Amino acid sequence: MGNVLVWMVWLMAAAACLGTGLRVVTASNPFVSALSLIGNLASLAVLYLLASGEFVAAAQVLVYAGAVMVMFLFVIAYLGGRADAPWAGGTRAIQTASVVTAAALLAVTLVALMLDAGGRLSDEADVDRAFGSPAEMGRLFLTDHLLAFEITSIVLLVAAVGGVVLGMRSEAEALADAQELADAERASS
Amino acid sequence: MVFGSWVCLLAPLAGFLAILAAGSRLTRSQAGIVSTGSVFVGFAGAVVAFVDAWGRDADERGELTTAWTWLKAGEFQVGLELLIDPLSLVMMLVVTGVGGLIVLYSVGYMAGDDEERRYFAYMAFFVFSMLLLVQGGNLLVLLVGWGLVGLASYLLIGFHHERASAVAAAKKAFVVNALGDAIMALGFFLAIAKVGSLDFGVVFEAAESGELSDTVVALVALGLLGGAVAKSAQIPFHTWLPDAMEGPTPVSALIHAATMVTAGVYLICRTHPVFEAAPDVQALAAVLGLITLLVAGVVALVQWDLKRVIAYSTMSQIGYMFVGAGVGAYGFAMFHLVTHAFFKALLFLAAGIVIHHLAGEQDIRRMGGLRRALPTTNLTFLIGTLALVGIPPLAGFWSKDAILASALDEGGALGWILYVGGLLGAFLTGLYSLRLYLRVFHGEPAAEPAQAHGHEAHRGEGPRSMTLPVLVLAAGSVVVGLLNIPGVWHPFEDWLEPVAESLVHPSTGEEWLSSALAVGLGGLGALLAWRAFQAGRELVPDGAVRRTLEHKLWFDELYDTVFSRPAQTVAVALRDRFETPVVQGGLDEVAEGTLRGAAATSSAQSGLLRTYALAITISVSILALVFLVVR
Amino acid sequence: MMGPGVPWYLAVSAMLFSIGVAGVLLRRSPLIVLLSLEIMLNSANLAFVGFSRLFGEMDGQVFALAVMAVAAAEVCVGLGLIVAMARRNLILDVDRLTELRG
Repeated sequence: MGNVLVWMVWLMAAAACLGTGLRVVTASNPFVSALSLIGNLASLAVLYLLASGEFVAAAQVLVYAGAVMVMFLFVIAYLGGRADAPWAGGTRAIQTASVVTAAALLAVTLVALMLDAGGRLSDEADVDRAFGSPAEMGRLFLTDHLLAFEITSIVLLVAAVGGVVLGMRSEAEALADAQELADAERASS
Repeated sequence: MVFGSWVCLLAPLAGFLAILAAGSRLTRSQAGIVSTGSVFVGFAGAVVAFVDAWGRDADERGELTTAWTWLKAGEFQVGLELLIDPLSLVMMLVVTGVGGLIVLYSVGYMAGDDEERRYFAYMAFFVFSMLLLVQGGNLLVLLVGWGLVGLASYLLIGFHHERASAVAAAKKAFVVNALGDAIMALGFFLAIAKVGSLDFGVVFEAAESGELSDTVVALVALGLLGGAVAKSAQIPFHTWLPDAMEGPTPVSALIHAATMVTAGVYLICRTHPVFEAAPDVQALAAVLGLITLLVAGVVALVQWDLKRVIAYSTMSQIGYMFVGAGVGAYGFAMFHLVTHAFFKALLFLAAGIVIHHLAGEQDIRRMGGLRRALPTTNLTFLIGTLALVGIPPLAGFWSKDAILASALDEGGALGWILYVGGLLGAFLTGLYSLRLYLRVFHGEPAAEPAQAHGHEAHRGEGPRSMTLPVLVLAAGSVVVGLLNIPGVWHPFEDWLEPVAESLVHPSTGEEWLSSALAVGLGGLGALLAWRAFQAGRELVPDGAVRRTLEHKLWFDELYDTVFSRPAQTVAVALRDRFETPVVQGGLDEVAEGTLRGAAATSSAQSGLLRTYALAITISVSILALVFLVVR
Repeated sequence: MMGPGVPWYLAVSAMLFSIGVAGVLLRRSPLIVLLSLEIMLNSANLAFVGFSRLFGEMDGQVFALAVMAVAAAEVCVGLGLIVAMARRNLILDVDRLTELRG
């Protein structure tokens, strides 16, 4: 009985995942795409939970869905009409090539999976309750994977700086903005 | 003895390096002093070595000293060796002694030239190279010295490099010498292959003992002879010497009279065991000497250039030395080398004073009556001329006649031909030398000579630095011959006996007979020249003969047609057919191909993000497929 | 393990990945391209977690977390670019933004 329930939840989450994924790629309204992605992230979090990755699931929802997607939505709101995304681009040849390539990649991977399905991929290890817990995660981050931890923090720093730099206004722009503000003030006073 | 020899060798090298290193920090005259000083220091070293050797017993006078092992290739090994023995001591004394006087003379002669430092550096370098050649303890060191003197000769002939003729002459000298060097090197390769060593002792033993086949020995000897012939300007490799007169007069005196051109004679005497083991080649040496002797003598009869006459005279006298060495009279050949060094250098230096006085004029048709303007030079030049002709008791008399007597003693067909030819040569010598002397110093002065290139008119005899060496050489020309008087005393012969034992021993009677004949013929030639001069006519009348002689028997033209032109044609053809299209074209093709390839490749960078991403994705899929298949 | 085995997770991951690839290659708006990139990154995360479960080691999850952090950084910069482009009134069309050429 428990197993059946798990199976059902899993299938639903997987379907939602793939469905929203398709929606992201095919929607013409970027807002719809962004929301679909949020849905995708949520279903993925469910899948993580079912695979005993509790901390990762939590982080997914908090960081990805909570922060990254919000950033996306902010930008889409800022862009307004300019964000409208026409459908496909490129020549016919490139379009067909793209679809074919994606399909080929999928085919190769599935074949690989099926070939080995009876072998090594089925031997799951037994895990205890501590598997997937924050404590275990923290321990690993601070011992075996300390380097990855540090480098990640540097990457984040660099991205933050990059974001600031990209957002800076040039001299001319700053002047124009100040001018606009002054005009608005005079107009309203 | 060893110490003295090292000083002798290294002093000129030090002088050369000093001038090179100091550059323009030395004034021009200081460079001259350094150069002269270094050569005289070398002379002092040679004297010290000589005195030491003299004090020893005859069989202890040879010493081989090694600086370090220079080359090792498998079994073959060569050291940087010097051989100090009577033969090399003689050469050392001559080179540094006469050389020192000539460099001193240059201080006066070259004063005012813009590039004096270069000149003096080259002179010191030359002296060093020549010493290396004569002190070489094995064939390889000798070869190094050989090559270096060739280089020094090239540099000094072409000293006035702004003159195209000088540059051409330098090139000609170098090419002909290189030809001789190549032949010699081939001989050396054969020696290495068959004997396994280039040490004198080893090679000589192998040649004498008969373990080498006759052909091999003959070939090695031929190689040596080829080099000697080219360096000493004997026929057929003689064409470079007259042209070499383009160099400054002291250069002609030092390199092309006293020392470098005599290196061939030295070589034959040094390697005489090889020649003795190949008697045909030795005979060939004598024959070539004879031919040169005669050819040079007749050609000298029609030359108008002061220095060229003396050059042909040099060629002729070296022919005598070759004859001497060819019949095995090594002692006499070397003796003639020594006496010749004195009076030939004397003649050149005196000629230099004349040229200097006339502001560069060298055509004897424009000279005359100079005995009034240059009385001392008149006397010294006369002494030199008489020594050359072989009038007793001057130097040339004793040495030349000794060679003639040796030829007589040799006997056989060859001996007789050499003897008669040598006597004929003495006659010719009388003719051309007196013609030269009379033309220059006697008679009426020609019209004012044209202002030629070179230094300002140094009217008169010139500075002390020029006149002193000339006087010393004149004294030497008088006295040096007395080192070897047949039947009375022969220290020179005895000195060289242990090293180069003569094959022939002319009797006193033979010697005096030859002397009488030679003097007689020489005097006859002089007389005829005098008569012709009085009558105001030339010795060789106009006509085909004269024209042939004027063109030096068409040798230059022959070589030009047979060697130069074809070589040039081949070179041009190669350039047009091969070098330009294939090599150059190939390079151009490669360059262009790269550019085209780059252009083609860059067209793939379209700037479209999409295409880049597609390319990446396709590659990934292919890789995934490959992994799948392989694993 | 209850529920589907690891190969199922991997299959979903593969399908999600190819959807993302198709999106990156086919869409014109840089914004949508970025979103598709996010899908690809998430699919990789899913594969990480799946394998982590298979081997019983938590290293896969650790790296999934690192991937998430990096993805966040990348989105930050990417959106910054898009905003900068919009401010300079450039058309947000991948086919028109072609100055990165050879």
